[in-house]
Amino acid sequence: MNAEILDLLVLLQMICVIIVAAYFITRTEIFTEALERRLSFRGGVYLILFFGILSIYGTLSGVEVLGAPINVRDLGPMVAGVFCGPVVGIGAGLIGGAFRMGLGGFTAIPCSLSTVLAGALGGAIYYAHRGRPVTVGTAVGFAVGMEVLHMGIVLLISRPFETALNLVSQVGLPMILANAIGMLIFAKLITNLLTERRTKAERDAYHEELQRKKAELQIAADIQQTFLPKSIPTLKGFDLLAVNCPAREVGGDFYDAIPLGQGKTGLVIADVSGKSVSAALYMALSRTIIRATATWHPEVSLVLADANTIIEEQSDSGMFVTLFYGVLDEKTRTLTYANAGHNPPLLLRAGATDFGRLMPTGVALGAASEQEYGAEQVTLLPGDLLVLYTDGVTEAINGSNEEFSEARLMETVLSVREHSSREIIREIRDVIDEHAGGEPQFDDITLMVLKGV
Amino acid sequence: MANACGISAHTGESGAVISVTGRIDASSAGLLDTELSRLIDGGERAIIVEMGGLEYISSSGLRVLLAAKKNLKRSGGDLSIAALTPFVREVFEISGFLRIFSVYESVEEATERKRLTG
Repeated sequence: MNAEILDLLVLLQMICVIIVAAYFITRTEIFTEALERRLSFRGGVYLILFFGILSIYGTLSGVEVLGAPINVRDLGPMVAGVFCGPVVGIGAGLIGGAFRMGLGGFTAIPCSLSTVLAGALGGAIYYAHRGRPVTVGTAVGFAVGMEVLHMGIVLLISRPFETALNLVSQVGLPMILANAIGMLIFAKLITNLLTERRTKAERDAYHEELQRKKAELQIAADIQQTFLPKSIPTLKGFDLLAVNCPAREVGGDFYDAIPLGQGKTGLVIADVSGKSVSAALYMALSRTIIRATATWHPEVSLVLADANTIIEEQSDSGMFVTLFYGVLDEKTRTLTYANAGHNPPLLLRAGATDFGRLMPTGVALGAASEQEYGAEQVTLLPGDLLVLYTDGVTEAINGSNEEFSEARLMETVLSVREHSSREIIREIRDVIDEHAGGEPQFDDITLMVLKGV
Repeated sequence: MANACGISAHTGESGAVISVTGRIDASSAGLLDTELSRLIDGGERAIIVEMGGLEYISSSGLRVLLAAKKNLKRSGGDLSIAALTPFVREVFEISGFLRIFSVYESVEEATERKRLTG
């Protein structure tokens, strides 16, 4: 076989050993400690031994390439210095240097000295980076520079000068190349390792954030469900039902049916501003306050005025709640209501095709202090239908960003007006689902249907 | 883009004007909050929010406006609204916010009114 190819094969063999060694050491926990600059004494000793032995291997594996003896003795101490610090670098350099010294020869002193220097200068680079990772370019550049220096020292110290010059001119370039390639392998493996670890850390942080968010969503949903009524009371002469379908990120909608005695029931539908846990907590607070003020006052306007005062005092982050409150009297069949900024409930009289709206009588609760709420009254005869809803219904969007809208809600109600409140609610929900066509539900959907029977 | 929301602010001699366009919903309300907080923390006392290009505002958006207004009131300032689009006007009307906020036809009218009332 061609001698030059054989020489290259030997060089390749050496590189393979370096790759294996580099792979092995960079995967150890001790090396991780060194990279993170928290190397223990024991770890330091192990690394000095490892890179010292690598330096000895560099001497022993020295091969003749194209007639010139070359070695990678400096590589171990250089890597040790650049990535593990001056102590490990100099330690490995001393081992490699001492071994080279023992072999003797006219370049013994300059070669041994260079090996120790390789560790020390590598350590200086480590130091100069102050915790920032050393780039591949810097490491390889250093290896080239170090070998140039190595040659210079040989010329400076070894005598006779002519022999030294002859040697240097022969081995100079191959030595520089071999050590640079060795350093490239180490530096590449180490920077890959660092990138991998950083990506993993980022992935972990993202995952953790996701888990936290998920837990938060669950907590918000739990709070909301806890503060919705467990059942709707049965009313004489009326068919009443309500549902709440929370969005993934709950919006703080709620409804209530509060028994007030003497055949009267307080009906509530409300939407708290904001989302998630803060909205759910505010919803729990508002529901409790309304329950309390509803039992204090027979007049709906005072129920809301008092609730507003209490809520407004608690609201420093701009939180507010739009809320419709009506007292339904089974005997007189009247609904007396006040509406604090809530979407007007729709009233469809028996036989009529036009809807009436129970318009707001005041400002959303918590928005401003000292508000008055007024009161209105409607009579609900058999066949009359009242649909109360939150904006999650009318603002449910489809793929082309079209809202479900009040018009579509009216159209749907008209088509199912003869049905029971349960069926009407189911039908409205189905039509909203059909409209959304798989678009995610952004806001809570809450519906209450009251039908005179 | 369906959920795009643009917010830009400039400060003049008669106060700061924030222009909001697109949609202000739960996800973009935070941007408006950040911008308003930045102005208020920077010592701005009279802020006009210009809504001529606003297509949609959710309760989260109203909440941010209300919080800023309450915040400014405490230090003797005010937040006013200019140029409501029909949809946004309806939201303001139903929630009663039309009564809480000073609402003007345009930024010019808002600054003029402010100048007259001192």
